[in-house]
Amino acid sequence: MSSATWRNFFTYNKYAQITARAVRQSLKETERVAAEKRGVTALRYQKWENGVGGTQVYLNPDADKGLGKPAV
Amino acid sequence: MFARSSLGRIASQRPTLGAAPQNARNMATLREIELRLKSVRNIEKITKSMKMIASTKLAKAQRAMQAGKEYGSANSEIFQHTPPETPSKRKLFVVVSSDKGLCGGIHSSVSKATRRALAESDQADPASPVMVIGDKSKGQLSRVLGQNMAMSFNQIGRDIPTFADAAGVADLIVKSGVEYDSVTIVYNKFVSAISYEAATVEVTTEKLLKESPGFRAYEMEDDFAKDLAEFSLANAIYAALVEAHACEQSARRNAMDNASNNAKDMIGALTLQYNRGRQAAITNELVDIITGASAL
Repeated sequence: MSSATWRNFFTYNKYAQITARAVRQSLKETERVAAEKRGVTALRYQKWENGVGGTQVYLNPDADKGLGKPAV
Repeated sequence: MFARSSLGRIASQRPTLGAAPQNARNMATLREIELRLKSVRNIEKITKSMKMIASTKLAKAQRAMQAGKEYGSANSEIFQHTPPETPSKRKLFVVVSSDKGLCGGIHSSVSKATRRALAESDQADPASPVMVIGDKSKGQLSRVLGQNMAMSFNQIGRDIPTFADAAGVADLIVKSGVEYDSVTIVYNKFVSAISYEAATVEVTTEKLLKESPGFRAYEMEDDFAKDLAEFSLANAIYAALVEAHACEQSARRNAMDNASNNAKDMIGALTLQYNRGRQAAITNELVDIITGASAL
């Protein structure tokens, strides 16, 4: 489909992650649990200006309330 | 003041200040040694358990690394066949490390490699933007290359890195608005279970990809080069993340192994010292009692 307009809104990586999430959610229960583990990310990032870091922002704000910190 | 003979008797003790009687001084030093022994024993237990944990994590991390390397090698095949005509002028450095410490020289190895790459002015512009994954290298590099830092990421590497992590990082890099011609990923390459070394991987951007003759030989729609550049960046970051994770677990295991061995040596030396001190105290008491008895 050469008239895809998703490129105006997000990058290819985001597009791939969305489709992957759809596939994972459509699996049967046991496979879905195993696949969900592969899609977990708790990424945080911060922008830097002139040697000073900005505020840290979660990429997926609802997913950050997970387990506490493991020992190491 | 210290008497020469007492110094000879208690040669192994640390001299303490003050005019406490001999036995009291022995007891104080003995208590110190006892406390040190207890704390070193606790440390040895902790480092031994950390070594066990790191060993089990290493096995899993190595399996993930073998799988992840396939992504990386498939990725680099594209760039082998499409070398850019003009060398890239503005490089973006992505430094891969992690948030946790106690893993030997992992973070400083990557930070040093980045600083070296930026110092060679023929290889890279000293004002090249730098993005760091992992708090430890972020701390090291922000002191030296603070002006070059564009973005930093953390919360990666607690468990095996997923492709979702790598895709998120690549997404943020592309959307950040930083200008670059190519991306250089600096990470730790897994040489063996006991050694690693810093290495780099280059990823070209859409612009340079489109201009290269290997790419131009094919007829395709406009957007594909952009998609390919973004996806191959995520691929390369994923391969670097899993390999760096495996290196970190192996380095942590080695560091904790060395720490346990050192702790064991210290326990041996301190136990000897403690026993000598204990026996010296007993001998002094005996001498006092005997001289006291012979004076009667």
